[in-house]
Amino acid sequence: MTAQEVRLCGLLLHEHFGEVVEKVGTHLLRSGAQNLRTIIHETGLSVDLVKKSLMVLVQHGACLFSSGRKGPGSPTEYRSGCDRILRILRYPRYIYTAKTLYGDTGELVVEELLQRGHMTMSGTVKTVADRLTQNMEEGRSMDYSEVSSAFSKLVETHFLQRCPNPAAGATPAAPGTPAAPASAIPPTPESFPDCYKVPHMTLVGRGKRQLAAEDGEDQRNAKRQKMDSEAHGDEGIYWQVNFERFHLHFRDQAIISAVANKLDQTSSEIVRTMLRMSEVTTSPAATCTKPLSANEIFRSLPASYNIPRPILDQYLTLLVDDPMEFVGKAGESGGGMYVVNLHRALANLARATLESVVQERFGSRSARIFRLLLRKRHLEQKQVEDFAMIPAKEAKDMLYTLLSQNLVQLQEIPKTPDYAPSRTFYLYTVNQLPTARMLLQNCYKTVANLIERRLFESKESKRLLEKSQRIEAILASLQASGAEPEQLTEVEEMITAPEKQQLDALKLHINKLDSAENQVDETIFLLESYVNSTATSTG
Amino acid sequence: MAARGRSRRTLSFSVDSVGINRGESLPPTLQQPTPVFPVMEQKPLPLTGGEEAEYLLALKQDFRGAMRSLPCFIQPAAALRDVERYSDKYHSSEHTDGLMDWTPDWQRFPRELRIHARKPARDGVSVARSDAQSAQKKKKKKVREKEEVLIKLETLQKKEEQQSEEDDDDDNTEQKKKQEDDDADGDEEYDEEEFEEETDYIMSYFDNGEDFGGDSDDNMDEAIY
Repeated sequence: MTAQEVRLCGLLLHEHFGEVVEKVGTHLLRSGAQNLRTIIHETGLSVDLVKKSLMVLVQHGACLFSSGRKGPGSPTEYRSGCDRILRILRYPRYIYTAKTLYGDTGELVVEELLQRGHMTMSGTVKTVADRLTQNMEEGRSMDYSEVSSAFSKLVETHFLQRCPNPAAGATPAAPGTPAAPASAIPPTPESFPDCYKVPHMTLVGRGKRQLAAEDGEDQRNAKRQKMDSEAHGDEGIYWQVNFERFHLHFRDQAIISAVANKLDQTSSEIVRTMLRMSEVTTSPAATCTKPLSANEIFRSLPASYNIPRPILDQYLTLLVDDPMEFVGKAGESGGGMYVVNLHRALANLARATLESVVQERFGSRSARIFRLLLRKRHLEQKQVEDFAMIPAKEAKDMLYTLLSQNLVQLQEIPKTPDYAPSRTFYLYTVNQLPTARMLLQNCYKTVANLIERRLFESKESKRLLEKSQRIEAILASLQASGAEPEQLTEVEEMITAPEKQQLDALKLHINKLDSAENQVDETIFLLESYVNSTATSTG
Repeated sequence: MAARGRSRRTLSFSVDSVGINRGESLPPTLQQPTPVFPVMEQKPLPLTGGEEAEYLLALKQDFRGAMRSLPCFIQPAAALRDVERYSDKYHSSEHTDGLMDWTPDWQRFPRELRIHARKPARDGVSVARSDAQSAQKKKKKKVREKEEVLIKLETLQKKEEQQSEEDDDDDNTEQKKKQEDDDADGDEEYDEEEFEEETDYIMSYFDNGEDFGGDSDDNMDEAIY
């Protein structure tokens, strides 16, 4: 939990849940596991507000509670982690992926679940059907069964999962609970056998359109009460978005697009086929996919690609020989057994990211030195100048700049035990993993700065924004009640031309800053996946 | 540098390996912190545009806007402004409505997080039965307390009235007369003081010393200060 991460989490919580939740959340992040009384005392907020914030955090999975450390009688402790809150940056990407895979229905299902945290299947289906009906033409409405089928498809491909039941810490006095209190680790959703089972649900009906008329409202209220009292057979089963599955999907997409950029479209199709075939058989933390024979790959290629068998073999050989090492050969049976090297691919993608960062910040010659050091590991100053073919003075300058930015490290090799400087070798080196971690922290700081700048810009022009909002509201109400064009133009002219220019410039800046956040998040995803993959392989 | 090396111009590290040639000066020493926004030598790349980026941007902004209207967006009660205004009484009820819209499944949360709704005006949107009963009991208790206090006050008042009836029948008339006299005197004095010589100053404030010498005619023994 670094300072940059906590700062970014605080800003994200403030934007999405308000400042009360931000206070409680950052306090939990900084202080670790605490019980309710301590939180109330140290944040200085009222009891009700703290309770509500904790409920919101638990509902969205940002906070976990468990029975206290001192045994079953001690008060429940709440603990929070940065990872879950940092996912908020990636929500637009999740929703967009659901849209590309399962259409508008899937997109709305995922969006509802992200907004609410945990929801039952019946609740989600109803809300999504209502929203879809809202956007359809008059007289048409969305059937619940369509939405349910989209939901089931998402569950089958593991994009949605059931929430784990709260641990025994929820009711410490309840008898008959399993021996869960003994373990300090909360159960993961995967540890439940029914994790991906769609419940049998009786839900028949169509989406309801929100009526503007008054009596429609009364009817709706009456209907709402009636529906709330109906049971749909899935009480107590809550669903959440499975972020890990989305991350696997993003990782596969990154590998496929890297292959497409480096080689060509056909090779990327081959790699896509290989990854699709091993979706179910590969565990999330695997170093490489299960070996696939060339025969299987040939049979599973999409029908639109009519590649004859020898050409496929040539493509596979090319992929294996490529220095990026995306695909490896694991044997000769079945026409050749091939694997996709997932961890190595991630490491190479992270390395490419580091190189491009150096190139964009310091120039192509510094990037040449950086790449040289990555490949040759340890080099002396003289050797750097020779291999990079850069004049000595400039090479020295660039090396010192990189050293001061901590992208390059100095390794001392003493000839004598007293480390005398005149009798010590000084070698320059680059360590990929620590450098990647450092850049990841820089990315978090970047996003936090972008958010702060955006808030600053909106605060500066707050008066102007409020005025434009009021005028829009007036315009909308005038149009709804059917006003003449002169009245509309009169209201529009209440905003003067320079103010309009200012508003346009402000909108442009805010859009740019938001878009930049999305792009930095892509880099964050790559670097995080790389750092996590090394953690699992070594630990 | 060691004291021995004072006269000799040797540095602690070998000059060749680091790469400083003779005659070349070291870069100037920094005497202040580095600037907060250093000048960038290379301009950064422009953002990638395109349909996907715009759609992602729209999704992000919509999501943020939608979160603000959900019940999980908690805003504290508005801070008190510098002066109490009449409209505060009517504004305070607006913000708290969103809090009760969301009825969570209490089995998934620890029991200590339950908030008991104490709004007798609402017809039990999310108040559990036991909570409603305890609220009613508390209301009854309060009502009972109020009744007791009222009864006490009434008895005290009756006692006072009885006492005052017996004793103050005469006093009342005297007091009334006194009050009238005082009022009349006050009026006269008021008129006298204010308008005697048409000055702005009240005459009794000014002591013109007429009483000073007259009082001491009887006793010549006492010294006059």
